[in-house]
Amino acid sequence: MKSLSAEPEQCIYIVDDDEALRDSLVWLLESSGYRAEAFASADAFLKMFSAELMGCLLLDVRMPGMSGLELFEELQRRHCALPVIFITGHGDVPMAVSALKKGAVDFIEKPFGDRDMLALIEESLAGERLGRERRLLEAMTSRRLAGLTQREREVLDLIISGKLNKQIADVLGISIKTVEVHRARVMEKMEVSSLAELVQSVLSIDAGTDGRY
Amino acid sequence: MPDSAFVNQNKRVRWYWTAPYVAVGVFAVTMLVLVWFLQSREADNQRNAVARDVQWAEQTMRLHMQGTEEFLAQLARDFAANALDADGFQMRANQHIANNGELINIVWVGADELVRWSAPFDTTDWLPGDALSGAQRQPFSLARELGRTVYGEPHVNARSALVLEVYVPARRGREFMGAIVAVYSIDQIVRHLIPNWFADKYRLALLGASGAVLAVNSSVIEVDESVFFEIPLDPPGNGLVLRATAFRTEGGLPQALPTAMILGLSIIVLWSLWLLRGHVRRRVQVEKERDRLFNLSLDLLCVVGLDGSFRRCNPAFTRILGYQPDELPGKTLLDIVHSEDTAATLEHLRTLARGEPGSFENRCRCADGTFKWLAWSINPVLDEGLVYAVAHDISGRRASEDALRAESAFRKAMEESVITGMRAIDLSGRIIYVNTAFCRMVGFDADELIGAVPPFPYWPDEDLAICRHNLELTLAGRAPNSGFEMRIRRKNAERLDARFYLSPLIDLTGRQTGWMASVTDITEPKRVRAALESAHERFEAVLDSLEAAVFVADVASDEILFANRAFKRIHGFDAVGRTVRGVAVPQPDRSRYPVDLAVVDVGALPIELFDGELQHPLSGRWYHVRENATRWVDGRVVRTGIATDITDRKQSAEVTREQAERLQHTSRLITMGEMASTLAHELNQPLSAIANYCMGCVTRIQGGRFREEDLLAAMQKASFQAERAGKIIRRVREFVKKSEPRRSAVGIAEIIEDAIGFVDFDARRVSGRITLDMERDLPAVFADRIMIEQVIINLVKNGLDAMAGLSRDERELIVRVRKTGKRSVEVAVIDRGHGIGEEEKRQLFSPFYTTKAEGMGLGLNICRSIIEFHDSSLIVDSNPEGGTIFAFTLPTEAIVSEKLVRRA
Repeated sequence: MKSLSAEPEQCIYIVDDDEALRDSLVWLLESSGYRAEAFASADAFLKMFSAELMGCLLLDVRMPGMSGLELFEELQRRHCALPVIFITGHGDVPMAVSALKKGAVDFIEKPFGDRDMLALIEESLAGERLGRERRLLEAMTSRRLAGLTQREREVLDLIISGKLNKQIADVLGISIKTVEVHRARVMEKMEVSSLAELVQSVLSIDAGTDGRY
Repeated sequence: MPDSAFVNQNKRVRWYWTAPYVAVGVFAVTMLVLVWFLQSREADNQRNAVARDVQWAEQTMRLHMQGTEEFLAQLARDFAANALDADGFQMRANQHIANNGELINIVWVGADELVRWSAPFDTTDWLPGDALSGAQRQPFSLARELGRTVYGEPHVNARSALVLEVYVPARRGREFMGAIVAVYSIDQIVRHLIPNWFADKYRLALLGASGAVLAVNSSVIEVDESVFFEIPLDPPGNGLVLRATAFRTEGGLPQALPTAMILGLSIIVLWSLWLLRGHVRRRVQVEKERDRLFNLSLDLLCVVGLDGSFRRCNPAFTRILGYQPDELPGKTLLDIVHSEDTAATLEHLRTLARGEPGSFENRCRCADGTFKWLAWSINPVLDEGLVYAVAHDISGRRASEDALRAESAFRKAMEESVITGMRAIDLSGRIIYVNTAFCRMVGFDADELIGAVPPFPYWPDEDLAICRHNLELTLAGRAPNSGFEMRIRRKNAERLDARFYLSPLIDLTGRQTGWMASVTDITEPKRVRAALESAHERFEAVLDSLEAAVFVADVASDEILFANRAFKRIHGFDAVGRTVRGVAVPQPDRSRYPVDLAVVDVGALPIELFDGELQHPLSGRWYHVRENATRWVDGRVVRTGIATDITDRKQSAEVTREQAERLQHTSRLITMGEMASTLAHELNQPLSAIANYCMGCVTRIQGGRFREEDLLAAMQKASFQAERAGKIIRRVREFVKKSEPRRSAVGIAEIIEDAIGFVDFDARRVSGRITLDMERDLPAVFADRIMIEQVIINLVKNGLDAMAGLSRDERELIVRVRKTGKRSVEVAVIDRGHGIGEEEKRQLFSPFYTTKAEGMGLGLNICRSIIEFHDSSLIVDSNPEGGTIFAFTLPTEAIVSEKLVRRA
């Protein structure tokens, strides 16, 4: 099954101490057209980790040295945006649940069928991409917001809250005309063409990013 | 002084000496000569005087006599002239006699030689008509013939008076008429014709022709016979000599006196000179001696001016201080004094100004710059303006003093710091010395003790008799070598136990002057000893109460050092002192000991040597014997053995063993349950891998994108994983197989690796590491593989669990395998966990003892059984780095024959 949604830059990173498993996973993923890179230990992965990585992460929960869970926590500390999928063995369910609560995407139990695995990966990659795009948008919006003057910002806040121009003028103690002028400038600076868009973009920033899509 | 100068000086000295003698001699001689000269001159003068006087006297006498002659001549003339008659004659003659006392008679003697007229009138000498005597006729005739005055010889007249006659012939023309004779009394001549002053000065003597003294004006005054003069008296002549001898002048010095005095004085002077010479010789000798002493003196001698400058220094200055003889004169004493001592020296020198001698010590600089300590004694002689100084080199003394002081201080410090009390008594029992430690011990001061006589203040009242007895023994020299142990009291009435060691006190000459005791407070040691003894009694009581036989034997000689009652009951009550083998104690073979007792390191003790069951060769009874190598009370290595009679137990052991075997089977099942889950997990890995490889191949083939070699590789990897899965299955199957435990030669390495393989998953589950520390070239061991695997698995799992609480880095379990001795291999499982307390250790092997919530507590007991089946024991020890060590040894394959009687 060829995935159409995978971007060339996205790579699936595999961290597992068992060589056979690593190698076979890479084989499997490449068969499906993904890019994959494997690491024998959490430390090895951390060495090459950078925030610009795109793709997703497959972590074996039980590893000597730094365990999968510990690696996950470390990556969270480093604000890693990669979605993380845990590979668990028997008896690791409670651990996996806690990992999910912490923000892992999902977990999959060995031995797994390839269909389930690939589906999960697809999901993750898609999510990762979406997340990236959204973050970009948010960054832009933030920049735009920063470009507003204080008065414009006040006007914007009031607009968002559903106030009419007249009401805004009353609150701020300025004339309606001035409000209209501010409003027009706000729309321009925020590069939106409708109120709905404005609200959408600003609110998205307020909601913040949580790694989940 | 150089010899030639000395010799010269000697010559001068001799000249000095001879000169006075010579001078004195010359002087004496001169004086004598002078005196003699003067005396002789004086004598001459005197003689001259005498001569003059005598000549004058003679002259006077002559004149007188001549006068008389004249008178007589006149008479004669007158007679001749017939102018003279008898009366006139008488008258004139008497008058003349009266005027000249020396005349006795004047007689007219006729030519017939008969007296005619005689004057004085009354004379009886010459009676007219008298004839001349024979003596008289001669001069008469002579006068007649000569016609001159003739003096007759002096002769004694009829009246026994010495007379002198003078015959004056009368001639009428040529006719001899006769003569007028005048008769002198010689005596009266001497008296009358001499003036008084002459008679005062001289003794006059009239000497005849023969020298006989005819008349002398005697005097009692002494005469100086040497001063005389003789003069012939002429007239009368006839050999008459007038001798005048001077009287010694009164008050005049005897002539010999000056001479005598000169001689005497000269002698005195010479004698004085002689004495003086002798004296000076002695002085010179003394001076020489003094000079020699001065030069030879080992002390520094010098003469110093009042200003402190050196005038003269003896050679000791060179010898001791190193200054050349010419260096010092000119310098002052203060120049060579050490700068620190200058002030003090000055102080002392000030006393010199008052004329008082002083003595002090200071440091003086030597020529080479070092300093020496000198003791000075300085005596000023203000009259001379000089100071005489003697200095003695006391560097050595000072050094000795310092050394002695240090020695004394050290000894005192030693004495003060020693804790043994010392007390010395003299031969009568009086205390003569106590040291500080003793005073401290008994609480009395030294003054209270020294001089004390028995009973001593530190003798307790209740033990006076004992103390006295001990003292008597001491004084008698019968004090025991081990000393006395006595109770004594302190000043505050506390009692203490002390040991007194006595030894004789010998002085420098080797004489014994008393007894010295060294006293130690043994109250504490005694208490300890008592406690020890009672502890020993308790210990013995406990051991004797045991049913088990306990013995202690020396490892080298095998001699039994201790045996409790139970042991003695079995092996004989004389066991102590005999050898272990000698009393037939069942013994494991020494080679079975884990260590070689001959070279065991004392620090490693105690070591368990043996823990097993042995049968008594004679009685056949079974004993459970445990032997340890340990340290005996005297430090040597001994082995202690405890043997419990288990004959009865053994019989029931059969039943127990069957039970144990069943138990083991049960534990195998339980383990198998665990094994199953292990299996599941273990199989997961290869299965997942196989699935992935296969799916990958399918996808590629379906997608049409494949390379043959890639597919091949993947397939090969997949089959490899399948093999791995198979191995796991096989392992489990083997494990499950119920079989008799079989021992064979197996490689311990494989066993361990397999075992670790089993537990690898567990390790990863707890994120622990298992480190294998295996020696190379380990020999094969004689063991049941499965069973040993089981033991190791159990131990490793326990170890991992124990480390659950540690951090990830610390969770390291070490499995150590090494050779111990030639015949065994030791396997140790070392964890760093929480360790096992003593209490737990005891319970560890108890069946059903567990600390785990899900555990059944069978593991360790089974392990121990397995190990014991292998003729070994499972040892639990605390890991010095924290945690626990489980260890057991396995015999190497070489040990096949068993020397013990065992039940298989």
